[in-house]
Amino acid sequence: MMTAPLFEPTSPDLSTTFAGLTLQTPLVLLSGCVGFGDEYTRIEGYSHAHVGAVILKGTTLEPRMGNKPHRVYETPSGMLNAIGLQNPGARYVIDEILPKLPHDQTQFWANANGSSLDEYAEVARIFDDSPVTAIEINISCPNVKEGGVHFGNDPCMAAKVVAAMRAATSKPLITKLSPNNADIAETARLCIEAGSDGLSVINTLVGMAIDIEQRTPVIGNISGGLSGPAVKPVALWKIHQTRAIAQKHNIPILGQGGLTTPKDAIEFALVGSQALGLGTGLFYDPLLCGKVLKGLRDYMVRHDIARYEDLVGMLQQP
Amino acid sequence: MTNAHHATIVEEIATILANVQHPGDQFVMRVHAPKIAQKALPGQFVHIQVSPERPMRRPISIMLTNPEQGTVDLLIKAIGEGTERLRQRKVDEQLPMMGPIGHPFDLADPSKRYILIGGGVGIPPMIFVADHLQGQAETILFAGSEVPFPFALKPSTFLLPGIDSSVKMTIASLESRDIPCRLASKANMHGCFDGYVADLARSYLQALPQEERQRCVLLSCGPHPMLQSVAKLAHDLNIPAQLSLEEHMACAIGGCAGCVVETLEQGKRYYRRICVDGPVFDLNILPEFAA
Repeated sequence: MMTAPLFEPTSPDLSTTFAGLTLQTPLVLLSGCVGFGDEYTRIEGYSHAHVGAVILKGTTLEPRMGNKPHRVYETPSGMLNAIGLQNPGARYVIDEILPKLPHDQTQFWANANGSSLDEYAEVARIFDDSPVTAIEINISCPNVKEGGVHFGNDPCMAAKVVAAMRAATSKPLITKLSPNNADIAETARLCIEAGSDGLSVINTLVGMAIDIEQRTPVIGNISGGLSGPAVKPVALWKIHQTRAIAQKHNIPILGQGGLTTPKDAIEFALVGSQALGLGTGLFYDPLLCGKVLKGLRDYMVRHDIARYEDLVGMLQQP
Repeated sequence: MTNAHHATIVEEIATILANVQHPGDQFVMRVHAPKIAQKALPGQFVHIQVSPERPMRRPISIMLTNPEQGTVDLLIKAIGEGTERLRQRKVDEQLPMMGPIGHPFDLADPSKRYILIGGGVGIPPMIFVADHLQGQAETILFAGSEVPFPFALKPSTFLLPGIDSSVKMTIASLESRDIPCRLASKANMHGCFDGYVADLARSYLQALPQEERQRCVLLSCGPHPMLQSVAKLAHDLNIPAQLSLEEHMACAIGGCAGCVVETLEQGKRYYRRICVDGPVFDLNILPEFAA
């Protein structure tokens, strides 16, 4: 299917480079929010041409059932989720899902998970021989008993995961960092030195909700990951903290955490996001991508900024 | 490459045409959403942003559509913050609404007799089925509620086997369209069966000759205990059943896997997404409703 050009030729250039890849727009649909890449095409008017990349749902070596319900719950200005990495296993994703995706319309990235260094490395090895153009390392999932955030909260362990995967693939590796981490900049430094080509900042914050009538936690897993506008100030601050070390090594940041409006997107760009992650915002508005791109373009025209990459990190000191 | 589900769901800004309040925190909302009205099938739902302050959407079953007028009718009960905000919305206000979503009821076989069993805010999809099947297949609706039914009621002129003549009240709009219906309540409502709706349906089904009963299919939506009773009824009488389920939902398009139910298929356990793999499931694959 032919897709009409998004903008007039004189429009600002919204493409961006990320970990050696060229993204057609800075928008990246985040892992866990968009299934295995095809789900949002159910929506009339959704177009892969609006996004630079789609990150597939977190994938482990073997299939996982995930957590018992309830798995999601709205909280003020956000939501909790504890899906528990439900996925059909890496081999199935590669054999059955990736061949059916339209790789000519956007890029698809994997999101790799494991409960041991060997599993992370094996998942990387499997995806190395596949059409995904990058692999995001999830060392910050708060909803599984082993691996996930338990690796991400230990900077040395995080770096070991990156190193193990680095040895297993030549594809760009993007490490997804946890805001639950004591020193995110130090974790970022160790991950970069271990071979990470990019950083995703931030994953969800751990939280819980309580049903006062049942007197139980609402979420089946008891705790869940908090996302949405409630975490946006945390996300901006964590990106700001990570930016110096990332810049020093010329490593891009995929900024994310509560981006739900065009104004949010500009804030994430200003603080230093080479790419912009959309997750919970898609649940508010499944056609958010086109609106964010329009807002970005209008802002850039108004401020005479020709390229998205010129906007990245333009934040001034007060 | 295009999959069959591409562009099947529309995002529409619906306009509220009516919002009629009923006892028991129930309200019937009519919205103008012409694209959704055109496409919706019985068992499907819409995903509504109830207010800008609570932007996560709420999945609501479709009760009736009018494709010519472009309207969609919804029956909702305010049970939490989201539905309470929706209850307070006014005529002419706008609601972002995605739909129609989900796997509808399988109504393909006109030789079947469809026995519809709805409880509370599980009644709406049953009304949509009844409307859809009118003149197409035999349909009988049993509805249960512990709060006053949010419909005009009247005595029915249809006789139903196994059901006492004192249990005569029906939903007037169904009666006028020749769709037999009976009501059940434990709240002492005149002309209604004094008991649970699944027991009312059981009385009817047990009174049928075997060959008639074998043509029946149960379709049901309602609270979990009611669905368990319906499942037991289906197992006891060896009648196939399709259940419509609900769960907290985030994306409603299959992206987040937030709204799952456990299934058992060819001996393997799965969590299926209620939004797009359901909300209607065959009873046979739901272990929580197993015999």
